[in-house]
Amino acid sequence: MKPAISVQGLSFCYPDGLAALTEISFQVARGECVGLLGPNGSGKSTLLRHLNGILPERLLGENGPIQIDGTPVTSLHLAELRRQIGLLFQDPDDQLFCSTVAEDVAFGPQQLGLTAEEIHQRVQAALQQVGLGDLAPRPPHHLSTGEKRRACLAGVLACDPSILVLDEPSSGLDPRGRRELITLLRQITATKLIATHDLELVVELCPRSLILDRGRIIADGPTTTLLNDEALMLAHGLERPHVLQHAHPHRGEPR
Amino acid sequence: MKCNLKFTPTPQLVVRKIIGTIILILLITLTPSTHPIWFGLEGILLLGLLWWRRVPPRCVLRRLLILSPFVAGTALAAQYSATGVDWKILALRSTLCLLTIIAFAETTAVSDLLRGLRLIRVPTLLVTTLALMHRYLFVLADESSRMNRARAARTFTTGRRLAWLQAASVAGQLFVRATERAERVYDAMCARGWKT
Repeated sequence: MKPAISVQGLSFCYPDGLAALTEISFQVARGECVGLLGPNGSGKSTLLRHLNGILPERLLGENGPIQIDGTPVTSLHLAELRRQIGLLFQDPDDQLFCSTVAEDVAFGPQQLGLTAEEIHQRVQAALQQVGLGDLAPRPPHHLSTGEKRRACLAGVLACDPSILVLDEPSSGLDPRGRRELITLLRQITATKLIATHDLELVVELCPRSLILDRGRIIADGPTTTLLNDEALMLAHGLERPHVLQHAHPHRGEPR
Repeated sequence: MKCNLKFTPTPQLVVRKIIGTIILILLITLTPSTHPIWFGLEGILLLGLLWWRRVPPRCVLRRLLILSPFVAGTALAAQYSATGVDWKILALRSTLCLLTIIAFAETTAVSDLLRGLRLIRVPTLLVTTLALMHRYLFVLADESSRMNRARAARTFTTGRRLAWLQAASVAGQLFVRATERAERVYDAMCARGWKT
């Protein structure tokens, strides 16, 4: 079976000469949930944006470094590609650009050219899925950060993507909001790539992780193995999460 | 800040309201100055509308006060121009037009207005720009108040020159951040299939 995401030798420099990504290669199988870990400025967000086709012209093409579901990312496939990949941005205010929550969730389906009835159904289903059915007519600036994040997720889910790419999904959330998000993400069966600093979240959700530092992939392997390697974690601005260090009072031994 | 609670009207109602407002403004501007009684009737109609929709008088007065420089400006221009337009009539006309706009703004939620504009076939690009402006005005206001608070927390001296310099730097920073945010918003729109 072809991998959902395949990246081969992707390099990218910002216009000021800063090398953001160097020779990135990895694959994500269909249905897999992979954590993308790394310190601030390691290139996580830049990498995620490339996956969605928000990337320079020169990287597009039949022999380009990125393939989604076995199809190379070319300008011809860009619309279809963006339907397949749902990208959740770091700052929910960047993503909620319409005047009400319902309009925002409807934005993606509208761009897909669906009928009014289909759009309505998708909006209702997506809002129900994230538990925001009551907030549909509210303007986004009246929502809490947790609600904003869930509204963003509803906007992404309404496009029915087969791959979900999430940039720091739990940042700025209180413990309850974070817990709700983890439960929600667990229910979503799409292929998931989660860039985050929230190591406990990665331990809960992602069986496999990639570690990115200074634009290079440092390690790729089972999450518990990588995160238990204290020297590796410390060398790349991370740490061994508590959940792997201490026994849980009810569940027993650390993982 | 809105003074009264809104209900969600049907799209047809919003369209009628927009058209009604435009007609009323045209009527006020076209009322002949030889028949001032008509201004009185229009004024009563407007006050009646404001009372019917329960718009608090204080709110109307405050809005009028904010907009009064425009009225004063046009009246002054008329007074010193050679066209022979009576400045009192002009001031009355502009005040009535402003009252019409205040009545409309105070009883219409922005999301309804945008829906109405789309229905009367105002160009999509214009409506989208208006919608984005309304959406990000609050985000930018929040951002500027956060920056001002952060600046105030580390300002230990008083001095007018320094205050102006700092205000200018906050404004500049805000502009840079707004531009960066605009780029990210555009990326987010593209990510959900916005046709470029």
